[in-house]
Amino acid sequence: MKPLVVEQVMKQYGEKTAVNNISFEVSEGEIYGLLGANGAGKTTTMRMVLGLIYPDGGSIKYNGKPYSNEQLSRLGYLPEERGLYPKIRVSDQIIYLSQLRGMSRKDADTNLKYWLERFEVPEYYNKRVEELSKGNQQKIQFIAAVNHRPSIIIMDEAFSGLDPVNVELLKSTVKELRDSGTSILFSTHRMEHVEELCRNITILHRSNTVVKGSIKEIKKQYPRERVILTTENDVTGLESISGVTGVKLQEYGYEIGIQNEAVGGEILRHAMAQSTVTRFEIKEPTLNEIFIKTVGDRHE
Amino acid sequence: MNSFWTVVGFTARNKFRGKAFLITTLIIAVILSIGVNLPYIISQFDKGGDKATNIGYIQSTNVEAAAGTATGDSLKAFYEQQENAKLKLIAYPDKGSSEENEKQLKQAIKDNDIKGYLEFGAMTPSGYPEMSYKSEKMMEFSLTENLTGALQLIRQATILQDAGLTDEQVAQLNAPINIAAVQISSAEGGRTPAEQGVNMGLIYFIIIFLFMAIITSGQLIASEITAEKSSRVMEILITSVSPLKGMFGKIFGMFTVVLSQVSFFIIVILANVSLPHNKDALAGLDIDLTKIDPLLLAYAIIFFLTGFFLFATLYAAVGSIVSRTEDLGQATMPMTIISLAGFYIAIFSLSAPDSMLVKVTSFIPLFSPFVMILRLGLTDVPFWEAALSIGLLLVTIYIAVYVSAKIYRTGVLMYGKRPSWKEIRKAMKAYKI
Repeated sequence: MKPLVVEQVMKQYGEKTAVNNISFEVSEGEIYGLLGANGAGKTTTMRMVLGLIYPDGGSIKYNGKPYSNEQLSRLGYLPEERGLYPKIRVSDQIIYLSQLRGMSRKDADTNLKYWLERFEVPEYYNKRVEELSKGNQQKIQFIAAVNHRPSIIIMDEAFSGLDPVNVELLKSTVKELRDSGTSILFSTHRMEHVEELCRNITILHRSNTVVKGSIKEIKKQYPRERVILTTENDVTGLESISGVTGVKLQEYGYEIGIQNEAVGGEILRHAMAQSTVTRFEIKEPTLNEIFIKTVGDRHE
Repeated sequence: MNSFWTVVGFTARNKFRGKAFLITTLIIAVILSIGVNLPYIISQFDKGGDKATNIGYIQSTNVEAAAGTATGDSLKAFYEQQENAKLKLIAYPDKGSSEENEKQLKQAIKDNDIKGYLEFGAMTPSGYPEMSYKSEKMMEFSLTENLTGALQLIRQATILQDAGLTDEQVAQLNAPINIAAVQISSAEGGRTPAEQGVNMGLIYFIIIFLFMAIITSGQLIASEITAEKSSRVMEILITSVSPLKGMFGKIFGMFTVVLSQVSFFIIVILANVSLPHNKDALAGLDIDLTKIDPLLLAYAIIFFLTGFFLFATLYAAVGSIVSRTEDLGQATMPMTIISLAGFYIAIFSLSAPDSMLVKVTSFIPLFSPFVMILRLGLTDVPFWEAALSIGLLLVTIYIAVYVSAKIYRTGVLMYGKRPSWKEIRKAMKAYKI
């Protein structure tokens, strides 16, 4: 039984359809990526999973059971925007929120201290949230989402507002949570994070699912259209090879667009005839490219 | 149930810890202490001020001024007879001309010997000459009233004496006449004036107490919910705890805060009142708390609790509709006006507790906590009417709780874009409270 199964879920606001028949499953110990341009319906989907708003159609099952108050304590939520009491001390509100989700005061306190230590900010225990910087507030927000040991965590833009060091810190924490069996529904605009963390993704575009599946499978569906070539000396005449769509001169050498993978061999032979080849790679498309292609194509 | 108390504890703890709360509570406590001790403080200052006000007049042997001099002399004698008289007449010799006399009296005012002086004119049918009191102050009404009162008494005494009445007859004429107003009930005995006084006091207290509790805590409840919404903690809260528990935890937490705050104020007042120097003042008021009707007290508690929770629930609903604190004042306005209306109907009807307005509003749920308690305390209300009023209140509270919890739950949806009525209705149907 998968911890989270979303089936044919639909949400309408008046005449406008915010989410149209979205379906996905999140396994134990999996980070599921929910991608899409601004306003594509990611947050609405997440809110429905949280039970914050009610779907107009379809079903959401948690360990096979429908939404109910009993499920609440299993869920953790990291909202996109700050959701903390600005004037209340960190310790008070984190313990309060954990208690509301059914944790004892003592356990909540122990956990909070562990997390603050983990994030190298134990001195925030007695600070008020409004005294902290945006990035540090995000850390506290993160702790609020995980402190009660939920089995399903929903993270909306988890790493926004953080510096690269802290992004790494939180990313490694997210991976730890995943490895300990937590199911995570994850949304971000940073494709490299998705490639690093997620096994399966759904790309939403204007309320519809446009791409769905494992990242590996998705990448296979998209033709390899790029060759990276680094040589010791300059190579001429690359443009004239049939099947080459374009050549860009980069710092590292040439970036060559091709029609299909077969052209790659032709390029390699051509280059080796002129110079020593130090690097040759037929690149699989990055998620970023796939995203721009799927979402951008339909923009018109 | 567990999470309910968690919310209650969190709400109350944060309020008690808040600097603003502590400071306002202390300031109000200080103001109350000063207020209670004010009569004593003023009396301390007034000790020197007990001195009588000096008024000058001209004592003349001139025939034309004889009536004036006689009036002045009799006033002087009258006030000298009194203990602690407020006024004292001082005679000045006639200097011959009115200009010289005026100069003399004005000099006396300047020297602070007198505060003002009386000038006499031609005789009038009243038996006294025309009089004017001249001083540097404006509007000395209480002083002139005092003087006319004295003159009336003097005149009365003179006439009675001339009529040859005995002292007994004079005493009889002056004896006060009393009518005791006893409120009776068709069912049981009645209420003596002292009991009525205590009841009136209790009602006054309950009505003001209820109004204060509603206004302060209602505003606080609404603003806390709005703050939770605008800081988006609401999204986390609503997915952590059922709306009914969340909302009532907040209301109940605030109730304990307000209750303990008011209890603190009452303790401050009682402590101040029981200070030795205030003993006499208290005794003079003739307050005997044992005269409170226990049934009325029970009703008072019932109406206080129902009134408080009805308003608190509605304030919570208002708080969850608004998404920014700036808009809150406007949104709570109707609630404030309704509570004000109930309060004023009750206060202004203290002297007419059986008017039609009072009778009708004592059954209208939002007014009845104020008005019904007034009727119960001051008039004879059949039991079924009280029961009906309480019943209506309870039904309204039930509906208000149900609707408010739904609104509280649905309110989360209402960020920025305005949801349609259809959507709200659908959402309200969908969520369990």
